[in-house]
Amino acid sequence: MPDLLEVEGISASYGRIQALSNVSLRMPAGSIVALLGGNGAGKTTTLNTISRLVPLTAGSIRFEGQPLNRLQSHHVVRAGISQVPEGREVFRDMSVRENLDMGAYGRSDPAGVRSDLERAFTYFPVLRDRLKQKAGTLSGGEQQMLLIARALMARPRLLLLDEPSLGLSPVLVQKIFDIIARLHADGLSILLVEQNAAVALAASQYAYILENGEIVLEGASDALRQDEAIKRTYLGS
Amino acid sequence: MDLQLALLFLQQGVASGLVVGSVYALLALAIVIIFKTSEVPNFAQGEMLMAAGYVALYLLVFRALPAWASISMTIVVAFAGAALFRRVVLTQVAHASGSPVNLVIATLGLSYVLKGLVRQTGFGDTPRSFPALVSTDSLMIGQASVTRLDLAILGTAIIVMAAFFWMFGYTKLGRAMRSVGMNPKAAQLVGVNLNRIHTIIWGLSGAISAIAALLISPKLLMTADMGSVVTLGFAAAIVGGFASLPGAVVGGFIIGIVEQLVGLFVSSRAITLAPFLAIMLVLILRPQGLFGGRVVIKKV
Repeated sequence: MPDLLEVEGISASYGRIQALSNVSLRMPAGSIVALLGGNGAGKTTTLNTISRLVPLTAGSIRFEGQPLNRLQSHHVVRAGISQVPEGREVFRDMSVRENLDMGAYGRSDPAGVRSDLERAFTYFPVLRDRLKQKAGTLSGGEQQMLLIARALMARPRLLLLDEPSLGLSPVLVQKIFDIIARLHADGLSILLVEQNAAVALAASQYAYILENGEIVLEGASDALRQDEAIKRTYLGS
Repeated sequence: MDLQLALLFLQQGVASGLVVGSVYALLALAIVIIFKTSEVPNFAQGEMLMAAGYVALYLLVFRALPAWASISMTIVVAFAGAALFRRVVLTQVAHASGSPVNLVIATLGLSYVLKGLVRQTGFGDTPRSFPALVSTDSLMIGQASVTRLDLAILGTAIIVMAAFFWMFGYTKLGRAMRSVGMNPKAAQLVGVNLNRIHTIIWGLSGAISAIAALLISPKLLMTADMGSVVTLGFAAAIVGGFASLPGAVVGGFIIGIVEQLVGLFVSSRAITLAPFLAIMLVLILRPQGLFGGRVVIKKV
């Protein structure tokens, strides 16, 4: 049986700047895999090549055994991969409700969408009270929750999470990662991009470390947490 | 000027201004939906209007088709032409170079192509008048004299705008259009096909321009240069804030009324100056336009 996601030797570039070279990673269904690295290491670019926002110059990506190479971004969402982008990429001038409806854009099963909306509220009850509010007026933590809820509305089988801890207080980071753990327990597979290596290694089963667009290290998250070099470079101890 | 006359002029100016203003509002709407979702000002908007006007003239007068058929065919042709231009030409231009300047130049190119085509057919050689489809009998509203045609123009424009705002605000397609204007990357990530939405937006903009052409043509002499009327649509868009759809509508009515009032109170020769004075006043006093929000510098 193929892995859920198989990324093999992909390269990507922005103009003449090589952003990724020969990156390979695999994740089995039902896992949380972390993709770690510093600023500009290529973490977001990796997610964006999977989401088909950034074109590949080499390599292949397969999801559930099917190649994604020739698909466009909107097909990828329908195929079952949703990305939660980094930062505050909500639809600012739309209400929370409209943002969530946009998450279900490609779906034509109203009953399923309604039940998924209820399900999203079980993870993020605060959104139910904010339904009519403009998304741009939410707090940073609420916007992050809305982004995850919006991605869930597509009923993905793989969630690409880009820096969910960015700019949040430690309390909120804990809250978001508790929800990530719940989503995982409920069967969702998650590819997690983080700069906060300590949190990400604790949350994941396996991790890859990117530097300058290349995978420099990979291993089980528990083992990486004990690794001296990792501790020095990424865990700050 | 005594008070009686001033009051009469005021009523007449507002009434006529609402009528022409409703057409400017449609044009401004057609300009702003493209700008809001792709950040490209379409400099061929006037020629799209002009070409649609000639298509209608050809079907209605030269082919002697019934009005309903001519009108609907004109709108369909305008939708398809504009959508095709976006899909084929602009996609290629964008592929060849990412620079928005090239896209703007492509729209300028389209404007010359359309003018050239109309001249080529020979219909554009002499000024022609477009038959009024509604009687031009006048009636009085207060002390203002308007024609039935005027009322039909205003009514149609308002219905078209209302339909557009309903679509934009309350349908799935409209929501997708707004999402593309607000955050194209996030729109792609939730599964919106940007190309498809842009194509539909251009088509809609073409169709709205065609409706504006059908409304304004009976009130002007048609020439290949009649597209210059779109300047007033741009003026309306600027007054309204350029990225605001309600602003475009209000701007259209303001420009129409100012134009008519200047014509009555100052001189009919001053009419052409009025919209530019309005633009300058707005740019000096409220540079973001009446409905413009904060200016956002986008991170690329």
